[in-house]
Amino acid sequence: MSTLTVENVTKTYGDVTALEDVSFEIEDEFVVLLGESGAGKSTLLRCINGLTEPTTGTVTLDGEPLAGSRPSVGMIFQQHNLVEGVSAYLNALTGSLERTSLLESIFQWHDRADKRRALEALETVGLLDEAHQRVSQMSGGQQQRVGIARALVQDPSLVLADEPVASLDPGSAEDVMGYLKKAATVHEVTALVSLHQVNIAAHFGERFIGLRDGQLLFDVQQGELTPALIDELYGDVETVGLAEYLARDSDEPPTQQRRRVEA
Amino acid sequence: MSSESSSRGDRLREYLGLADVGETSVDRKLTDLKRRKTVRRFWTALGIVAVALLLNFSLRTVGFSLVELITQFPFFLDALPEYFPPTTYYGLPFLDVMQYWSFIIEQNLLLSLEGGRWLAGDINIVWGATFVTLAIAFAGTVLGLPGALLFGVMASERVVPYPFNFLFRATMSLIRAIPALVWVLILIPLGGVSPFTATLAIIIDTTGYLGRLFTDELEEIADGPIEGIRSTGANKPQVVSFGMLSQVFRQFIAWIAFDLEHNVRVAISLGLIGAGGLGLELDIQRKTFNYTEMMACIILIVLLAGSVELLSQRVRSYLRGEDEVEKTGVLEAFFTSPRKIIESAAGRRR
Repeated sequence: MSTLTVENVTKTYGDVTALEDVSFEIEDEFVVLLGESGAGKSTLLRCINGLTEPTTGTVTLDGEPLAGSRPSVGMIFQQHNLVEGVSAYLNALTGSLERTSLLESIFQWHDRADKRRALEALETVGLLDEAHQRVSQMSGGQQQRVGIARALVQDPSLVLADEPVASLDPGSAEDVMGYLKKAATVHEVTALVSLHQVNIAAHFGERFIGLRDGQLLFDVQQGELTPALIDELYGDVETVGLAEYLARDSDEPPTQQRRRVEA
Repeated sequence: MSSESSSRGDRLREYLGLADVGETSVDRKLTDLKRRKTVRRFWTALGIVAVALLLNFSLRTVGFSLVELITQFPFFLDALPEYFPPTTYYGLPFLDVMQYWSFIIEQNLLLSLEGGRWLAGDINIVWGATFVTLAIAFAGTVLGLPGALLFGVMASERVVPYPFNFLFRATMSLIRAIPALVWVLILIPLGGVSPFTATLAIIIDTTGYLGRLFTDELEEIADGPIEGIRSTGANKPQVVSFGMLSQVFRQFIAWIAFDLEHNVRVAISLGLIGAGGLGLELDIQRKTFNYTEMMACIILIVLLAGSVELLSQRVRSYLRGEDEVEKTGVLEAFFTSPRKIIESAAGRRR
C-alpha cells in the first residue's frame, strides 16, 4: 500500500533537458514506462531512486519526499549491477545493508530474519537451489532474478526497474518479467518498470506511461494502449510488434496497420 | 696544375653541398640534401669523439686493464674447481654435491633438530638461514598488509575525493622512491643491522608497493555494482566494502602472493648488507674466501627464490583465471631468479 507522486519534475544536464515537467501518481500498480532511448526513462527512474536529484519538482512516496537512496525504494538495473565474485545469497543479502552496521555486514552477522528473508526472496524468483552459486557463473536471466531478490530483501514499498530485460533473450526476458510481476504481487509493492519491448510491456503492464523527448506523452490503463499511441511514441517503426496483443483493441487489422505505416 | 687542384676543390665543395651544382629546382634541392647530409655527418663525428673521450676517462678511473685481465685469468680458472668442486662417481667426473651439502648441514642453513627423545615431544627445531630469510619476507608482508590496504584504498579517487587522495598517493611514492636496501640503512638506529630491521624495512616497502598495486586495481572496477549497492541505501563504508572491495578481492590476494615473492628476493639482498638470513651467510663466505661454501649459499638462494616464485605464480594464475598470468616454467623460475633478486633489490618489479 503505497503511493508514488511525481510532481512537475524537470531535470537538465547543462543545456540538455532530459525531463520536462513530468507529473503522475501511481498507487499499488504494475506500471510500464515506455519511450525511445534518450526519452528520459532512465533519468526519471534515477530521480525517483535518488541516484540523481531533479533540477526542479518533487518526488514523494506516501507523502514523504524521496531524497538519496533508501531501502524503501528497490532498484533493478539493466546490467544487473551485482557483485559478481560472490554467491547469489550474499548478493541478495546486500539488500539488508541499510539495516546492518558495517562490522556486522562484513562478518556476515546479519539478523537471522534478514538471512531468512534473503533465502525467501531467492525462492520467490525460483533460485533457492542455486543460492550458493557465484553470480558470475549464472546466466543473464538468473543474474537479473538475483537482482530482483536483492530489491525484495530491502523490504521496499516501491520497486523500480530500468530496462530489466533489455540484455536478455526473449525466453529469459519473459521469465524474468514473470518473476518480477509475481514478486510485486506477492510483496504488494508498487512497480515502475521501463521497457523497450512493446510486446512484453503489453503482456505484463497494468498501466502505461509514455515519455517522448522528456515529456509525458500518454498515461493510459491496460487496454487503452493502441497502436496509434505506440506509433506516436516511437515514430514510424515497422518492427514494433504490438499487433499481436492489441489487434483486438484496434479498429484496423494489423496487416492494414502495417501498410498504412509503409505508405 | 693549379686549375686541376681548384677543380678538385670545387668537386669537394659540391660533394659537401657548399657549391651549387646547377640552377634548376632539382639541382638546388640536391645541393640542399647534400648540405643536410654534411651537417648530420659532422654531428655524428662529434658524438663519436665525445663517447671515446668519456670511455677513456671511465676506463682510467676504474683502472681497467686488459693486461690484468689476462694475467689474472688463470687465477679465475683456479677458483672454478673451488666454486664447483669436482669428484668422480663410478669413475665419471661430476660435481661434488656432498661438499655443498655437508656445509649446508654444518652451518645449519636449512634446519636441524635438537634433543633426542622424539616420542616425549622433547624436540627443538632450529631454523636455519633459509628460513630466517623466508621469515623476514613473510612477517614483513603480513605486517605491511594493513598499511598497504589503508593507503591503497584511501589513494583511490573513488573513495577519497581528488585533492586529498593525493596525500596518500604521495606518501606511497615517497616510500617507493627509497629502495628497501636504503630503508634498512635509515632504520639501523631502531634495531641495528639485524633480521628485525630487515623486517621493518620490508613492512615499509610493502606499504608503498602493495598499496600502489591495490590503487591501480581499484581504478579498473566497474561502476555498476557500486551503484547497485548504493541503491539499497547502504552507507559509504558499506558501499566501499561491498561495491568496490568485493570486486577486487581475488585480485588483491593475487597481488599479495606476488608481493611475498618479491619480498623474499628483497630479504635475500638485505642479508648481503648484514641483515641476516641467506644473504648474510653468502657475504660471510665471500669475505673469508670460502668459494665452495659461497657457491652453496648461491645455490640455496636460487632454489629458495625459484620455489617461492613458482608457488606464488601458481596461486596467482589459479586466482586470476588461467589466461591472465603467464606461468613461468620450472627451469625458468630458477634460472631467472638471480636477475630478479637484483631487480627486486633495486626496487624494480616485474
